[in-house]
This record gives sequence, C-alpha cells and structure tokens, in this order.
Amino acid sequence: MAEVDSLGLALRPDELRKIEEALGRKPSVVELHAFDAQWSEHCSYKSSRHHLKKLPTTGERVVLGPAEDSGILHLGEHRGERYGIVIAHESHNHPSQVVPFEGAATGIGGIVRDVLCMGAEVIAVADPLRFGSIEDGHAHQRYVAQTAVDGISAYGNAIGVPNIAGDVYFDERFDDNCLVNVVAMGIVKESEIIHSYAPKGADGWDMILVGKATDPSGFGGASFSSLTLDAQDEESNKGAVQVPDPFLKNVLMRASYAVFGYLREHNITAGFKDLGAGGIMGCSAEITSAGGYGADIDLDQVNVALEGLAPEVIAVGETQERLIWVVPPDVTPHVLRIYNDEFTLPQIAYNARATVIGKVTAQPRYKLRHRAETVMDVDIEFLTGTIRDELPYEEPQVATSVVDEAPLVTGLQDDELLERVLAHRDVCSREPLYRRYDTVVRGATVIPRGAADAGMLAPVFGSAMGVALSVAGNPRYGRLNARAAGEHAVYEAVRKVVATGAAPIGLTDCLNFGNPRNPAHLGEFVAAIDGLAKAASAFQAPFVSGNVSLYNEAASGKAIPASPIVACVGAIGDVSHAVTSRLKHAGSVLYFVGSPQSALGGSVLIDVLGRHDPRLPRVDYELARAQHALVLEAAQASVLRSARSIGNGGLVVALCEMAFPSLAHGMKPIGVQIDDSWQWTHGAVGRLEALFGEAGGFVVEIAPEDIEAFEGLADDTEGVHEIGVTVEQPVLSFDSEAYDLRRLHHLWSTPLAEVYP
Amino acid sequence: MSRAIAIGLKIPDNAAYTTLTTLQRLGIDVARVERNDILIIDDAGEDALRRIERDERVFNPNKHRLTDLGVAQPRPGEVWIAEHHAPPGRYVGWRLLNRAGAPVDRETLERATTSLLCNPAIETARYQTREGTL
Amino acid sequence: MSKRIAVLVFPGTNSEEETLRLLRDCGGDAHLVHWSRAKLLPQFDAYVLPGGFAYEDRIRAGAIAAHDEMMDAVIDGAQAGKLVLGVCNGAQILLEAGLVPGTGTVRRPTAAFTRNGPVPHFICRHVWVKLAIEPKRSPITAGLKDGELIPAWAAHGEGRLAADEAHLAQIERGGHVAFVYAHRDGSVDASAIPNQSALGAAALVNAQGNVLAIMPHPERDGWAFNHPDRRGRAGILEPSGGALFFRSFVMGVNR
Repeated sequence: MAEVDSLGLALRPDELRKIEEALGRKPSVVELHAFDAQWSEHCSYKSSRHHLKKLPTTGERVVLGPAEDSGILHLGEHRGERYGIVIAHESHNHPSQVVPFEGAATGIGGIVRDVLCMGAEVIAVADPLRFGSIEDGHAHQRYVAQTAVDGISAYGNAIGVPNIAGDVYFDERFDDNCLVNVVAMGIVKESEIIHSYAPKGADGWDMILVGKATDPSGFGGASFSSLTLDAQDEESNKGAVQVPDPFLKNVLMRASYAVFGYLREHNITAGFKDLGAGGIMGCSAEITSAGGYGADIDLDQVNVALEGLAPEVIAVGETQERLIWVVPPDVTPHVLRIYNDEFTLPQIAYNARATVIGKVTAQPRYKLRHRAETVMDVDIEFLTGTIRDELPYEEPQVATSVVDEAPLVTGLQDDELLERVLAHRDVCSREPLYRRYDTVVRGATVIPRGAADAGMLAPVFGSAMGVALSVAGNPRYGRLNARAAGEHAVYEAVRKVVATGAAPIGLTDCLNFGNPRNPAHLGEFVAAIDGLAKAASAFQAPFVSGNVSLYNEAASGKAIPASPIVACVGAIGDVSHAVTSRLKHAGSVLYFVGSPQSALGGSVLIDVLGRHDPRLPRVDYELARAQHALVLEAAQASVLRSARSIGNGGLVVALCEMAFPSLAHGMKPIGVQIDDSWQWTHGAVGRLEALFGEAGGFVVEIAPEDIEAFEGLADDTEGVHEIGVTVEQPVLSFDSEAYDLRRLHHLWSTPLAEVYP
Repeated sequence: MSRAIAIGLKIPDNAAYTTLTTLQRLGIDVARVERNDILIIDDAGEDALRRIERDERVFNPNKHRLTDLGVAQPRPGEVWIAEHHAPPGRYVGWRLLNRAGAPVDRETLERATTSLLCNPAIETARYQTREGTL
Repeated sequence: MSKRIAVLVFPGTNSEEETLRLLRDCGGDAHLVHWSRAKLLPQFDAYVLPGGFAYEDRIRAGAIAAHDEMMDAVIDGAQAGKLVLGVCNGAQILLEAGLVPGTGTVRRPTAAFTRNGPVPHFICRHVWVKLAIEPKRSPITAGLKDGELIPAWAAHGEGRLAADEAHLAQIERGGHVAFVYAHRDGSVDASAIPNQSALGAAALVNAQGNVLAIMPHPERDGWAFNHPDRRGRAGILEPSGGALFFRSFVMGVNR
C-alpha cells in the first residue's frame, strides 16, 4: 500500500489485491493509475449503481436510456424525420469549490461534449447551483458563488449555447461543498445518432484522438471527485483541476458537426465519445469494450503540450476539450482533414489536432504502449466491467412531530411577512445572476430565462415543434426528508415544464450526497432514489440519463443537505401555444389550479419565521396529473394568457412574479386583486397556508371571453379555484389591504443584485 | 517607493499563444509572448506582497505565478497597457521575446503595440523609460 | 441575379447559423464562408460579420480578428463600396479594423465597443434600438422608416462605445450614430442604455454609409417564435421584429 499512498491513489487494499490476483503480477504504475480512475465512484458508480436500478428508465418516448454519454428522448417529426432530444446532466462540485472559475467552466465544457458525441447539435445548457451562505462573514462562499457563475457564463457564452434554465439556492450547509450541476441538451435526427461504442465490424478500425494537446492539468481528476474535501487538501487538489478553453471548444463543436455531415453523406457508422474521467485510458477502454472489443493504444502518438510527460499522465490525465472517434481506416484521412485543415485545430490552440492513437482489436485486451514498451496490458472487461460495493445504509430518521408548537398567529402586515418572503434568498429575483448568461444565441429561443418557469426552444429550423427544459431540487426539503425531496424535485421540475404548455416527456438527475461510507448519508441517497422513482413513475417521465456525486462532505463530517436535482424535458407540438408567466392584461380572471395543504414545513415562510416544522406537503399524484392535464389542454386551446407554477414562497410570490414584468418602462402596470371571500380555501387551510404554502399548483390568467372555455375544460378537475382578477393599478390587494407592487418589486430585485452587480 | 508585481499564468496561457501567432502573421519578429496582470503597489514591505498572495480574487497559487519586478516600470521588451479610466496602477503587461530568448528591441515592441496590443481610442501604452527613472 | 452575401465565420464566431437563416428568410442569397476559405471572399457582393467571440476576444474584443486574412477582403470590399454589416462581435471587429466610424485609417481604430459600464460584466437583455440617422443616409437602413424601432437582444460584455473626446465629437457631428438604445415606446433616456455606451449608441455607420456596426442582435428576435409575448397566433415561423432590419440590409444589397 505504501506505493498506492505515495502515488496519491484512492484504491483500497481489497481492490488492489483483486487487481493483483487478476493480473497474476504486480500492476505497473500506469495500471495502478488506470484502475484507480476506472474504479473510482465517478467512473464505476460502484456503491450507487445497484440503487439507481430502481429508477424508471423506459417509455414510449425513450430512444436511448441511461447507457451511454447521454440519453435521448423522442421529440417529434418534421418532414418525415424523427427528431430526438439528447440530454445529459453532471456535477462539477468539487472542482468548483476549489477553483470556482475553471471548475464551473469545465463543468459546462464536459457536459456539452457528452451531448455532442451522440452526433447531436448542442442547443441548450442549464445550471442548477447550490452555494453556501452569502451573508456577511462568508467572503469565501460569496467568492465561490460569484466566480463559479463567471465561469459558466464565460464558457457557455463563448461556445454559443444558450443557457435557458437553472436555479440557485444559498444555504450554509453548502459552505464547504458548493454544487455546480450542469445540464446540456442537443437535437439529433434519430436516424443519425452516433453511439459511444465501437460499431459492428470495427476490428482494426482507427482510434482518433481529437482536440487539445494533452498536458499535466487535470491529472488525478476522477479520484479527486470521489474523495472528501479537506481544507488542508484544497491547495494540493487544485493541481487536479482542468483548464477550460471555450475558444477551442467552439471550433471543435463546429468541426465535429462537419464530420457528422461527412459521415451522413457517405453513410458511415462510427463511434464517438467524450474524454472525461480517466482521460484517454477511460474513454478508449469504454468505447471499445462497450462494442465487445479491445484496444491497442500508442501513447507516443498522442499530441502533447510538453515533452517528457510520464505515461500515466498521458493515459489518465484529464486535459479538457478532447474526444475519441472510432472510424474505418479509409475514413480516417477525411476526419483528419476536416479537423486539422478545414477547421485548422493546430492554429486554434497549441498543438491541438486530430491524430490516430491506436487501433480497435478483436482480442478483448486493453494495451498501452509508451516508448516501445507495453506499460499496460489487462483484460478490458476486468478494467471496465461492473464493480460493486455493497455498503450498509440506514433508513433516514424523519421527524414528523412539530417541535415548535406555538400557534402560527402572526400579522401578515405587522410582521411584513410578504416583504420578508420576497426578499428571502430562495425567492428574490435571479435576474442579476442569469443576465450574465446568453439565453438567446442560436436564435431558436422561444422562452428565454426568466420569462417562465422553464426555458423553451424551437430546435428544428422550419418546424414549430418546441422543447422545454426546467430544473428543480429544494435543499430546504433535502434537509428534512430525502425521500420527499426526491419526490418534490420531480414534481416541481414537471410542474415547471407544464406551466409553459409543454408536456413532460423525460427526466435526468444529478444525485448530490455525502459520503456513502457513512450509513446515514447512503441511507439518504437510497431514500431519495425511492422518492424520485415514485414520482417519475407517477408522472410517466422516465430518467434517460444522470449522474451521481457522492462525498460532498467536508473533513469535519459536515455534509450537504440531501440534494437530488432533477431536470425535466418537455415537448410541445407547436410553440404558438407556449405560455409565459408575465400577466398580459388588466381585466383577466385569475385561477389557482391546485390544492392548498396545511403543511408549511420546508416553506420559505417557515424559514422567515425562524420556526422548525418537518411536515412537508404531500404530493397527491392523481390530482396533480389531472391538474397538469388541464393546464396543458388549456394551453393547447390558447385560453391561457399566462401561467406560473407555484413553488418557493407560494401562491402570493407567484402572483407577484407574474405582475412584476408589467412595471418595466413603457409597459402598462398590471396588478392583482384577490377575491376577499377566500371561498377557495374552503376554510380547510388558513390564510398563511393559502398564500405561502408550497404544495404546488399553478396560477393561470384567463381572458374574460375565454372563461367559459376554460371552465368547460376544467369541468371535472378537482382543485380549480377562481381567486381574483387583474387590475390596472400596480398593487397586490386582498382583504382590503393593498401592497404597492413597486415597493415589493424593489425588495424582490435588490438582494442578489448586490452579489451579482 | 512603489514597485510592480506581475501576476501571470503558470497553466498554459491561451491568450498569449494566440497573440504570438497573430504577431507572427503580421510579420513581427517575435518567438515568445508573456502576458501578466501588473499591479503597482506603493508599499515596499513584504506585507503587501503577502496580502496579494492571500487575495483569492487576484492570485490563485495553482494557476498563477507572481513576480516582484522591483521597480514600477516595464521591463525591456515589455509594454504595459492600461484602459482609460481604469483604476490607477493596473495594467496588462505584454513581454515579447525573440528566438534567442532575449527581449525584442524597442522598435519591434512599438510596432506590435500600435498594430495590435493597444487601441489608442480606449487604452494607453507605457514603455520602459530611461534606465532608473519612473 | 441577386447579389451574394458572405456570412463570415471566424474561429470563435457563434451566431453564424441564425444570421444566415434570417438573411435567407429575408430574401438574401447568403452563404457561410469559414476562415480556411478566406480566398473565396472577394467573389461576394456583401459581407456580414456575425456575433460570437472571434479568437475568444483575446487581447481585446475584435482585435485579433481585425487582422485575420478574411478582413483583407472585407476591407477591400468596403473601400470598393460593397455593403458590410457587423453584428455584436462583428461590430467590434469592424471598429478594430478601423472601417467604422472610419474616421482614421484602416486597422488603426479611433473608437471601440469596450467593457460595459457601470459594471464590467456580460449582460444579456432584450432591448429596442431606434434609427438615429436619415434612413437614406445608408443603403443598409434605406428600407426603414424615420426613427424606426427595432427589437433586439443585447448580449455582450463589451458594448460600450468609447473614444477620446475629439473622436466622439467627430462621431456625433458626422452622423455616425446609426441607432441609439430606446425604450419600447420610442423614448430615449439613460435608463434605456444597457451598458453606458457613449452617445447612447447601439450602432455606428461610416461616412459613406456602406459599413454598419450594430451591437445588439436583431436576428435573435428575428422570427415570431422568438417573442412569445408579442407574436400573433399565426405565422409563428415567419420573420418578424428584428427581421425588419435584415430585410432593409438585403434590399440594400440587392438594389
């Protein structure tokens, strides 16, 4: 073990023994590094894979489930062609904590490659973010929060992929472990999907490495993201972080699109895969073994940034902006020409290029050569095959009784509750943050960030079909109940897509948890998967891709809240039926589609009141499905002037956020008058629960002339309540009390503007 | 006495590389380009240096290299570019070296500056003045 | 025969596809030309430099691209009276190349679209720009009405017009400010300017009127589907909004 320790490897003694037994000899240094990367949690999912099997992954819309770099969902047809939405979701949490700009930027860079390598054009990214407290005295956390956003912005903007969805939470439980999750989406003709494996008959085909010259940056990355962060290690960890080059990536993407065109034109099947964890070794081993082959790689052929790199650095280092092609030898010159001559890679970045590094072999061995010596020679299935860690876990203890029994009697106005909720870190305007992201590049954006709960694109030029994307995952729920956090993450992501008029068709997840070797943390992970599975099945929205990020724990043992984060893909046949959340006219009728519950646990209001209440809202799936169907039908029938899903801060926040855009210069202000009878609460819940409860649902705005049509659609749907009207005055009024919308808007728009000026 | 601190990348500097290839395309005889953020500090003591090293917004030891230039003026072969209205004492320094690894001559440096490194509409270029003066 | 428009793709350009499509939807015979095909450029009748981050805006926005071989053809063409349009990064390149405002010599810029104020950050925001010159002053705007409002997206970190006082005065007096930022009702004040651009300028034009540099992207509000709140229920795929500007450009090219 001394050797393993001195190499800085994370392999455990039992794993090392297993390797020695299988090889029948001591592994070489290169082999040690290779197994260390390949058997890390990041690559092998060794302690999580068997739990993930519980997630539903099949359905009518599933073109490709979670098996390759991205999943694919059927979007629709245009001119006789079937189009698929390629979707991938990943975390770059640890790197973003220690070097936030580069860490977050390379997060976007990596996820984009996962989508690209399916033969897809990359059309959108999204960024669910969880940062530590940004209050006074948290200078470092604030720096991380600002700088990670700068990194995402710098990278995504430069490659020309719009950022159309995302969310952000600030919570001191993320002080030592921020979460930078990234989602990328692409569009592909289903007949032109390129797989991440060597195709049939690939024996003897070339393996072409494409992209940046290999350098020592990012050496040790895979194992690094599977280790617990230690403050003392932050410095040394930084060596493992990769350097982003969005300029090169921009060119690499366009050159790859040209190669897709060439392959399509000549009807050639090839394999294409992103280099992520484990570098050249990880990618070349997986792309060949997934096709049932082996590989023979000559490390001397790799284009390097500096001479004299050790073979293990070339083999497993995680230099960014690289991919591997598997193509027939007669196609090789064309691929090289497109990258190197037409798109001039060698002039874009130092020694960047496409270059042949080895061959696919029929013999299932993985071989690496360096300076004419074989430095690795192992059974490829042993290297890439499933390894499994059955770790013990405990069912999480979920508190159900209210600790704080003092009755919730509070004066809404006296205590400035609405004001405090609107200014709360989880509610206040996100615009200062997302305004740094290009949300409209490519010209296909239908709903940009901020205009609704989900972003929407018309991804196929000349076709009116649209795709929506949302993200969700509430750490206030994660603190209380991992299972419920999983359910609500799916429910919220689905609801957000529905609010735009798009039908949810599939999901991806990124599961961010603490140390799996701590049975309590692993228990949360397992429970969250239960919750995700239950909700995904209920909404018939399968998971087609996902990622696991464990070890989000500081050396002190302080772990993050259970953070199952979900992205939802929605489909809409014609974007003319897309719905945004801005109120359109005074004189409309407002409906609440949903069912208030007496459950304020995990709500923003409870947080504002400084109380503890573990009673989270239940998800009534049958009711939710019916309500979703109503909203979708009403959108389809063009009777929704606007719609917003209800989430953080509840109904009253949704109303405010619908009204605020009307305050912009040159617009007619639109206010909200809530019906004083409060009949819709049925006396079952109090005012606070009705206004601030987060049990879900929607607010919809209906034109007077469409009321009949809407009520006709709503006929047999439970939980459809007329709650008020829109008015010409910039006020929010109920119970004869009128709040000045401009003042509320100011309170809501200021807090993050201070962090993201 | 004021002095200059140069903060450069120790990871590959993509911008310096592109600048080099562009200068070469313009026919300017240069073999290597170094790019640094230049900070002028008034404090001669070690404390000021340490303060910079501790400020994660300015200096990250895993990607940056910090050089104390001693005096507060560009080295031979180096031009400092400041945006108009930029806070005082902040520059981007470009240092050009020839094939022998020596600083390029003043004429080459000025040619690189006027043709590429400085837009006089928004920036000012500062060269090394006579030896020993500021 | 309609005139051929080249949409230039520098390494790092990112808005070429939507620019190409909108030009075509507006009746233009537009074609992408990549940097490795720079030799083809002289055959074209007009040039469009789309948005993006050419050479990742290393050194300064547009600085390296201004020296790209492709710009040799653009500069020759501009001097020969061909129409040249730069959008966002394309606009920055035209300023760095000295073609706009054109008050100095080639590749010796007298102004720049530089770091946004008051905060030097990238912003992405829907804006309106208002024609600030007599439409006929430039063949590119000749198809627009006096004071025409065009919707667009500002999406840049360096969009603030800056120059020294003498050059700014020259820009103002010479009628080089082609568009200013405005509110949707056409009113113009400081709060409509997203980046503290001098003179409220969103676009500059050269003295001859054949080269125009515009910072915000009209092509990103170029079809009805780009604006879910303003579109009608029909014709969702039709050019609209910012297409007005592109139509005027294409008319100018084909005239």
